[in-house]
Amino acid sequence: MIGMVVRVGLLRMWHGRVALLLDFAVPIAFFTIFAFIFGGQVGLGKSPRVNVALVDEDGTDLSRKLLDALAGQDTLRVYAPEGGKGGPVTFTAVGPARELVLQGGLPLAVVVPRGWAASFRGTGTDASDIQILADSSDPVATQVLSALIRQVAGQIRAELARQQIEAMLGPSAAPFNASAAARFTRPVGIEVVEILAAGKASPVVSMYAAGIAVMFLLFGAVGGAGSLLEEEESQTLERLMCSSLGMTRLLAGKWLLLTIVGVAQVTVMFAWAQAVFGVDLLGHLPGFAVMTVVTAGAASSLALALAAACRTRAQLNAVAIVLILTMSALGGSMVPRYVMSGTMREVGRLTFNAWALDGYTKVFWRGLPLRALLPEVAVLVAAAVVLLLLARLLARRWESV
Amino acid sequence: MSESAITDKDPALRVRDVAKRFGSVVALDRASLELRRGERLALLGPNGAGKTTLVRCICGRVAPDAGEIEMLGERLPPAGGRQRLGFVPQEIALYPDLTARENLEAFGRFHGLRGPELRQAVEWALGWTGLSSRARELTKTFSGGMKRRVNIACGVLHRPLVLLLDEPTVGVDPQSRERIFAMLDELRRHGTSILLTTHQLDEAEQRCDRIVIIDHGRVIVAGTLSELIEATVGPKRRVTLRLAAPGPRPEGFRAGAGPLELVAEVGDVALELPVLLERAREAGGEVSDVDVRAPSLQAVFIHLTGRELRE
Repeated sequence: MIGMVVRVGLLRMWHGRVALLLDFAVPIAFFTIFAFIFGGQVGLGKSPRVNVALVDEDGTDLSRKLLDALAGQDTLRVYAPEGGKGGPVTFTAVGPARELVLQGGLPLAVVVPRGWAASFRGTGTDASDIQILADSSDPVATQVLSALIRQVAGQIRAELARQQIEAMLGPSAAPFNASAAARFTRPVGIEVVEILAAGKASPVVSMYAAGIAVMFLLFGAVGGAGSLLEEEESQTLERLMCSSLGMTRLLAGKWLLLTIVGVAQVTVMFAWAQAVFGVDLLGHLPGFAVMTVVTAGAASSLALALAAACRTRAQLNAVAIVLILTMSALGGSMVPRYVMSGTMREVGRLTFNAWALDGYTKVFWRGLPLRALLPEVAVLVAAAVVLLLLARLLARRWESV
Repeated sequence: MSESAITDKDPALRVRDVAKRFGSVVALDRASLELRRGERLALLGPNGAGKTTLVRCICGRVAPDAGEIEMLGERLPPAGGRQRLGFVPQEIALYPDLTARENLEAFGRFHGLRGPELRQAVEWALGWTGLSSRARELTKTFSGGMKRRVNIACGVLHRPLVLLLDEPTVGVDPQSRERIFAMLDELRRHGTSILLTTHQLDEAEQRCDRIVIIDHGRVIVAGTLSELIEATVGPKRRVTLRLAAPGPRPEGFRAGAGPLELVAEVGDVALELPVLLERAREAGGEVSDVDVRAPSLQAVFIHLTGRELRE
């Protein structure tokens, strides 16, 4: 009899082959996605490169030498305007680089301040440290860059020390190579300037709150939209279609309901984040409201399109799990997009998780004005409209045949 | 549809030569029927005969390939324009996690009622179904019969002139069936014409004014029960005699189902039955039991559609 229990279970799995396939395919799909996110390419062990802007306010041979050496590091990718067509640039003033970091174009900028070379050589009057302008949403990148600057500057200083020793001692200075000379030098001064996080409590939490909220917004919307399939199964939809309601009004009502519930869901999530983790919701209400409404609207449209495309609730659940988890992984709901390679970041922009999270980041992290949300709002509104129209088109199968 | 356009001469519903094909399957093959004013009409047919497709055509849920459907003298469009039509599906098409009142309010609104009109309709429906005291309970907690009553009520809140019911009493106990037909009687008294599909032949026989039988997508017969009997199996009663012991077969009888059974058909029971009994006695047979049966709808149905399973 135990054998028959197993046999019945296997037979039922076999009769639901799509679900069975998903049981095997979903883990492989997610392994592959995460391998791409964290590995660059599977098996090659490549680390993502840190994007950085270089600023040479000092304009000396020594500062150029330092920045050239940094640009030569495999771990760093120096900012190049117009998508890299013009090649990497070194700014001569801090303003543009600071703006890039503020707008989210780059996480970091290295600033060699005026007078740094003199200070570095010990001939200047004031101590002048290298500055890192940091968007501390990516704390690992800041640490990596600091270590690289110390290493490169240390090598330069050691070389200078060796040259000084050689100048003083002549041929007898031979035992003092750069490495030995480095032992006589002091560490390079680096000042990390958090240009976004100043005065903010738990700023990274807002990003995670948004990421999780958007992912569960999608799950919630799909769950709600599945009521269409339940109504079809119970013939309630048949009855509704025989009434004065009509499919367009039915879908409009469902969309409105899902959007209202979605907005409430995200608001409660952020209210909790404010109460417990100090995320400043009340201080960013207009931006939050705009992003939440458009994101919930787009999620509702996607959910309705999926429900209209699927034949059964089980099919909808299976498709939704694959799609939502994939979108969440690529779009930054599970892991921040800044740890992904450039290619994966671009792929992520095909998901509306990425656009939603970029919008929330602009609101909570960068504190940008409402007009800065225009690209995200435009994309999400367009997605909401297109997907809702698609849902309406697909729902024709429930109308007169 | 304008009130002035309606005349008493027009039937409540007229279906003319409606055809519908799904791929290679012919669901309706020039089906025609008429539902008269204030009438209760039973639509019978084996599974797959085309009943549901015909009802869905009338509801506007299936667009016919050919033919036309008129309600109260006006031709209906393929979809929409059916505000005076009510439909009650076979399944319990309610929201199980809403109360009876909430369900009624929702479907009343979907049928275009609002404000005081909606409130009055809901109160009427709760009284009509006998569920006023259970109005605040979730329908998922109701018995099968109670759910059926709410299911029907949700289809008539807007007081339709024509009501279509797809197997309204399937799966309910006799008491609930009685209640449901009492409800339908009340509707009919107020002028609603009713078309119902059913597999319960006794319901069609006893509770409906006329009967339509559909098979292979065509309406094969329509009329009162006596008209159908006259047109098919004939009006004669079937007399079955059971003998105490095997004996010779008297004149006028044929062999029955068992070795002790004799069968004959009679037109006038009072005149012909004594003669048959006398013949059996004269032939030396001892009659232990006599069964006289009038021709039934079951006999008509089997006569017209055969005994072959359809699915």
